[in-house]
Amino acid sequence: MADPDLDFTSGDAGASTTFPMQCSALRKNGFVVLKGRPCKIVEMSTSKTGKHGHAKVHLVGIDIFSNKKYEDICPSTHNMDVPNTKRNDYQLVDISEGFLSLMMDNGDVREDLRVPEGDLGKEIESKFAAGEEMLVTVLSAMGEESAVAVKPMTK
Amino acid sequence: MFLLYFLSNKCSLDEHKRLLAPPSMVSTEQRQHAEHIFLSFRKSKSPFAVCKHILETSKVDYVLFQAATAIMEAVVREWILLEKSSIESLITFLLTYVLQRPNLQKYVREQILLAVAVIVKRGSLDKSINCKSIFHEVSQLISSGNPTVQTLACSILTALLSEFSSSNKTSNIGLSMEFHGSCKRLFQEDDLKQIFMLTVEVLQEFSRRENLNAQMSCVFQCYLALANQVLSWNFLPPNHILSCREVMHYIAMFEATQNVMLKPTASWRETLLDHRVMDLFFTVHRKIREDSDMAQDSLQCLAQLASMHGPIFPDENAQLTYLAHLMEGLLNMINGIEIEDSEAVGISNIINNLISTFPRSVLTALPNELFASFINCLTLLTCSFGRSAALEEVLDKDDMVYMEAYDKLLESWLTLVQEDEHFPRGCFVQPAVQVFNSYIQCHLAAPDGTRNLTANGVASHEEEEINELQEDDRELFSDQLASIGMLGRIAADHCIPLLTGLLENRVTRLHGQLQRHQQHLMASADPGTVDRKVLDDLYEDIHWLILVSGYLLADDPQGETPLIPSEVMEYSIKHSTEVDINTTLQLLGSPGEKATSIPGCNRTDSVIRLLSAVLRTSEVESRATRASLTELLSPQMGKDIVWFLRRWAKTYLLVDEKLYGQISMPLSTAFGADTEGAQWIVGYLLEKVINNLSVWSSEPDLANDTVELLVTLVEKRERANIVVQCENWWNLAKQFASRSPPLHMLSSTVQRTLMKALVLGGFAHMDSDTKQQYWAEVLHPLQQRFLNLINQENFAQICQEEAVKQEIIATLEALCGIAEATQIDNVASLFSFLMDFLSSCIGLMEVYRNSPETVNLIIEVFVEVAHKQICYLGETKSMKLYEVCLTLLQVYSKNNLGRKRLDVAAEEDQYQDLLLIMELLTNLLSKEFIDFSDTDEVFRGQEQSSGAGRAVSAADVVLYGVNIVLPLMSQDLLKFPSLCNQYYKLITFICEIFPEKIPQLPEELFKSLMCSLELGMTSMSSEISQLCLEALSPLAEQCAKTQEKDTPLFIATRHFLKVKMDDLAEYSELVETLLSNQRDAVIYQRLADAFNSLTASSTPPTMDRKQKVAFLKSLEEFVANVGGLLCVK
Repeated sequence: MADPDLDFTSGDAGASTTFPMQCSALRKNGFVVLKGRPCKIVEMSTSKTGKHGHAKVHLVGIDIFSNKKYEDICPSTHNMDVPNTKRNDYQLVDISEGFLSLMMDNGDVREDLRVPEGDLGKEIESKFAAGEEMLVTVLSAMGEESAVAVKPMTK
Repeated sequence: MFLLYFLSNKCSLDEHKRLLAPPSMVSTEQRQHAEHIFLSFRKSKSPFAVCKHILETSKVDYVLFQAATAIMEAVVREWILLEKSSIESLITFLLTYVLQRPNLQKYVREQILLAVAVIVKRGSLDKSINCKSIFHEVSQLISSGNPTVQTLACSILTALLSEFSSSNKTSNIGLSMEFHGSCKRLFQEDDLKQIFMLTVEVLQEFSRRENLNAQMSCVFQCYLALANQVLSWNFLPPNHILSCREVMHYIAMFEATQNVMLKPTASWRETLLDHRVMDLFFTVHRKIREDSDMAQDSLQCLAQLASMHGPIFPDENAQLTYLAHLMEGLLNMINGIEIEDSEAVGISNIINNLISTFPRSVLTALPNELFASFINCLTLLTCSFGRSAALEEVLDKDDMVYMEAYDKLLESWLTLVQEDEHFPRGCFVQPAVQVFNSYIQCHLAAPDGTRNLTANGVASHEEEEINELQEDDRELFSDQLASIGMLGRIAADHCIPLLTGLLENRVTRLHGQLQRHQQHLMASADPGTVDRKVLDDLYEDIHWLILVSGYLLADDPQGETPLIPSEVMEYSIKHSTEVDINTTLQLLGSPGEKATSIPGCNRTDSVIRLLSAVLRTSEVESRATRASLTELLSPQMGKDIVWFLRRWAKTYLLVDEKLYGQISMPLSTAFGADTEGAQWIVGYLLEKVINNLSVWSSEPDLANDTVELLVTLVEKRERANIVVQCENWWNLAKQFASRSPPLHMLSSTVQRTLMKALVLGGFAHMDSDTKQQYWAEVLHPLQQRFLNLINQENFAQICQEEAVKQEIIATLEALCGIAEATQIDNVASLFSFLMDFLSSCIGLMEVYRNSPETVNLIIEVFVEVAHKQICYLGETKSMKLYEVCLTLLQVYSKNNLGRKRLDVAAEEDQYQDLLLIMELLTNLLSKEFIDFSDTDEVFRGQEQSSGAGRAVSAADVVLYGVNIVLPLMSQDLLKFPSLCNQYYKLITFICEIFPEKIPQLPEELFKSLMCSLELGMTSMSSEISQLCLEALSPLAEQCAKTQEKDTPLFIATRHFLKVKMDDLAEYSELVETLLSNQRDAVIYQRLADAFNSLTASSTPPTMDRKQKVAFLKSLEEFVANVGGLLCVK
């Protein structure tokens, strides 16, 4: 019964970092690439020029890594790029010189992610200092990664 | 004692003298000090002598103003102690003072006159002070001929009028509503009439004069405004028996009242039924109509006169004479002039008032000729205002006076023709034709119409940016369109063929134009050379023609089955003998051909031909999309077409003969049940829907209107039965189930509604094999794909891949759509189907715990299922749902406790999950209020009566949920209105439904719940406080029931009772205080009796419903009895 075209077994090696989607099918709180940056859509509205004109979509997005705001307006028939996003949880094992040491599922430890700026970073640092064990959620899109959430380990 | 007061007054006087210095020379601190002095001065005892002194000596306006205020307040305060003579001399002093000082600042003069008015009013009941002497004075002032003095006289009368009107203009003097009401009654019977007569005399005098200089015009204007105020008087009924409604009336009259209809008491007969009064206002208007300010007042006076009704008319005959005179005057006024812009709204108000006030029987009793010329005049006026309104739109004026006037007149027409059986048959046909024609003309482009033409015939056309918030014309102008549609029905013989002809013509032209563009595009590859002007004009013409046709042919009543309007039915029946049915069906069945090219097309049913004209439009559109000309089409026209078809289908498709006294043969042959015509048209509509969904996925509104048309086709069983016989329907279902393009490009709301329609269609009548096959094509693929996916061994690894995520999201959206399709007769099967998914969804919660978008969508599925289905579920099924919701909450809480997120979204969106959970809990609780499961046994046969103890109850789930939500609801979050409302709604529900569970809550939770209640009562909006109080009463009852005094609930509740209301002891104390404040023995007795009977019926306070109702009833009586005394202004 399953559609033969759909194959969920292949891995993502060599996969494109984005895929196209018609403007009209985008949704608020979803993702889109604006000015080359992966963004979360925080506002989406339509307008048209003249009563008999075709719809245009006005998008406001916030860069998921830099928090910068981007806007775009385009005909709603256009395809926009949507970033492939991924979220993974890693156990936090150490913090040194502003970098997180995170243990991956296979036991390897990566140390290439910065402690995020702002409240979340402070939260991670203070909890770590207090000896709490934590899982850090890392969001990746278009070749960039960043810690976006933290949660105490459940035993 | 006296000396002391005297001294303190002396002191104040000194302060005042110091303040005679100009205010600019004083520092802020000094000013504050001075203000304080003024305030305390106004409160000082018997300041009359001092005030007189100040008034006579001071030259500072502000100080004079304060002195007048002080006098006014002191008189009211010390009323009991003052002698009648001293009050009278005070009035004389103040009036003389003003008269002798013509150069006083306006605000000082008005304040002094206000003081006079307040004093007179205060004395009108108990000191027999009356206006007589003042009126005498005023009439002398008027006869002086000196404009300044005459203006002053007018100000005196205006002050009295405002004070006695007991409206929002009345000053606050701390007396009961009953006092205000009695003064008003007294005043309106006598003094008001005096004022009116004085005013009329002045107006008469002025209207006789040849030339008025500017100064005299001003005086004229003052008196005209005064006349308007008298005629807008909100008359109190003359009886003295108070009812509860009366008290409400008192309170309402203090609020701003606009558009009061004139309803004078019988004693006004002599005054207002005198024709000379009405004639005067017509004369006055004719004289001043070029002055737009004054014209407004004079027209308003006439509008008030046109609204006159009630006891003033001794019988219908009097009403008839009055109306005839009014109409004649109006016609004389309008016919001789070219109407000024500023007159349009006023004149339409007169007509609207007249038509809505006078009963049909009086209108029909008018002399035929008079009525005919009135209707004729109304017709011309409507057409002319319509044209001017169109001009205003072209010029984009801010102030759309003609549009307002046009709306008013169209409203009047609707009132008139809705009861046209009272009038001679056919008397509105010709007027309807004219108004209809002019509406059409204004909305069509040149040369047939005048749209976008300025007065000198120049076309103006601007493309403006339109955002999604702007309403569609069909809603924006729904009132106008409803009136025009109604008039179109009245004159169906003319209007239906007119619309058909115009629409057929435009469609042919559109077809030709599109063909030319196509050839042009094939010749040169540059699409930029296409001139859209001609196309846009055609689209706009078609837009209005379709809207008017839709409103003419059908109504859109919410919730009930719309009927074919009787006028349309009669029209079709009347011509059915001349109609050739076969040609009609041929015309209907060939939307691709030009209507006029069909032989015998003039012998077809016109109602069907109008529909088929819209189908022809639709066909041109569809063909253009197939020829890749979508770029050139208008999405607006696409919307109009599906909007029309939906409205039409609801009324005409499968027309049920049982609902009509007589039915037109053509209509029943073409669209009746079991007819080929109905089958054909269902097939055609379906094709249209499918075409639109693939071509217009990028136009959210159009896609939405389209899918709503589909829902209309399947939501009624009879229609659905035909739909599911169409192959296209099955194709659509398969296509959607396979998620192949282009349907997956639709927005998520459209996809949900599409799913809803597909599910609804599945409950149509089919043989069991077919039915099984249908579900195998629609629902099972969904399930199968979903299960295949999540049961893959490596699902945990691939779950983050985009393709997988898309699939999951599409499934969740579809589930929401399925839940939306729930109806009472399908809930059994849909519930079982959805339950299987709900458990799998909980697994997904785990997998996607770190993707908030997905988590929210999963919770939304639960919200929808609970929202649509819980009210139908029996005990076992409900319990299943409770259980699965409980598991959902547990997983959510496990994954989110202590989680901190960095989220870039707008703040409110971050808490979407909380909002959804509260919504879910509220939906689960709603079963306690709305429960259909007992009455209709939808699960009969499936439900085994399981008395064996409820494993999980709604209370368990909800309290568990509250456990999760409460700790997360900080005071900051309550600042978001959506969160705040949902939160308080939820906790109020809980307190109302499970008060007995509240004391069992864990201490922390209990505390935060009580904190929330207190916060809600003390620092939130009134709506929230009300919710909290509603929550409190079941809690208090709970305490009363258990009688345990040291439980935390008891303590908390008592705390609230202290915060919010007085307990019984305090209540009696309050009563005592109130009573002791009453000096009047009669009132004292009345109050005491009222309080006694209030408490007598409700002690001892038990808590059953009956008692509550009894108490409410006696409270109502209590309010009726003494409310007027206790409400104070």
